[in-house]
Amino acid sequence: MELAAFASFAVLVVAWLIAPTKGEVVHIESVKKTTEAAQAA
Amino acid sequence: MENISAGDTAWLLASAALVMLMTPALGFFYGGLVRRKNVLATIMHSFFILCLISVQWVLWGYSLAFGPDHGGLIGGLDWLSLRGVGQAPNPDYAPTVPHLGFMVFQMMFAVITPALITGAFAERKRFKAFVVFTLLWATFVYDPVAHWVWGTGGWLRMLGTLDFAGGTVVHITSGVSALVAALVLGRRKGLGLEPIEPHDATMTVLGASLLWFGWFGFNAGSAINAGGLAANAFVVTNTAAAMAALTWMTVSWLHKGAPSVLGAAAGAVAGLVAITPASGFVDVSAAILIGLGAGTFCYVGIQVTKRLKVDDALDVFGVHGIGGMWGALATGIFATVAVNSAGKDGLVFGNPEQLGIQAIAVLASVTYSAVMTFVILKIIDAFVGLRVPENEEVLGLDASQHREAAYTI
Repeated sequence: MELAAFASFAVLVVAWLIAPTKGEVVHIESVKKTTEAAQAA
Repeated sequence: MENISAGDTAWLLASAALVMLMTPALGFFYGGLVRRKNVLATIMHSFFILCLISVQWVLWGYSLAFGPDHGGLIGGLDWLSLRGVGQAPNPDYAPTVPHLGFMVFQMMFAVITPALITGAFAERKRFKAFVVFTLLWATFVYDPVAHWVWGTGGWLRMLGTLDFAGGTVVHITSGVSALVAALVLGRRKGLGLEPIEPHDATMTVLGASLLWFGWFGFNAGSAINAGGLAANAFVVTNTAAAMAALTWMTVSWLHKGAPSVLGAAAGAVAGLVAITPASGFVDVSAAILIGLGAGTFCYVGIQVTKRLKVDDALDVFGVHGIGGMWGALATGIFATVAVNSAGKDGLVFGNPEQLGIQAIAVLASVTYSAVMTFVILKIIDAFVGLRVPENEEVLGLDASQHREAAYTI
């Protein structure tokens, strides 16, 4: 069980290194309003 | 009185206070997740339950849950309004602390359990319906199931079910009831058509942090003595919460492309839920695996629930229902008498039978909670009405139900 515990934590660490940050942010309403206000100005 | 331990009593009373804090903390956890027009109503659900069940418990709840057994199903009325529950210890439940101390510790569990359900019907339930539901649910669901699992003579206890701090009694019952409530009440107006976003994520993270803090009383306090078992429960509780938070954040990052703060908070709560039944029976390696499972299974469960278009508004079934079931089964997998000689070995230590016993407890609590919650909701709907009218839902529950507003700016 100790080995499985170490392995599962190691998998998470590797995932943080390879996980991309992606996707649109404008679906968040407050961000959308800020963006629109900036564009209007 | 010579058997009373000052250390045990001090720890149990402090733990009761820690668990008490969890209910208002839950109010903040849920309050941050709703829209600003419903935040007071959401916090009120938790705060009101703290008051309501505190009185219900001393009048009849404790007697039904822990009173002298009737057929393994329910406690008697012998301890109505705490008759016979005094400063002397009860050797069946807590031989080294005053019976009143054990009673008030258990009261805080009875308080938070119906409060967990409120996340499923947030932003649309009538306050009157909520009050009646809470009182009936505590009496006809929580109190009997608590007796089955923890009461002297309770049938699941006699069967050999392991539930150290309430995975079955607290989380499965509330999680399943939340799913039933979400289905019976129906979806919030505008869901899927307009943005429904958490109005204050910082409030939610603060609530989750306070829940985590209070959970040390929930689990380590359940040792009922200030010794090694309490220390083990404390350590595995913290470990599982941390591991589940890391896992949830990672899975959601890979799935949606960003490490979610709210996801980390929800993951921590899922880990706390899952370790609850196991905390007095497993070691720290098992806690890591239980946390890993909680972060994964609960996240996936919520995605499935959303895909099925069930409006469990604040994901109560995903976190408490699935987390509770995983925790109960994981106890049957990872339990070891090396941690608790009064417990049993689980599957990985050569006792597969324990996993079967845990599965029976899960099945019984799921079925009973689902059926009883459905019946209670239908009765209330017929006499009081469950949902607020549509115009009041649009206005928000703070104004329509409480005539107050949370923010003036």
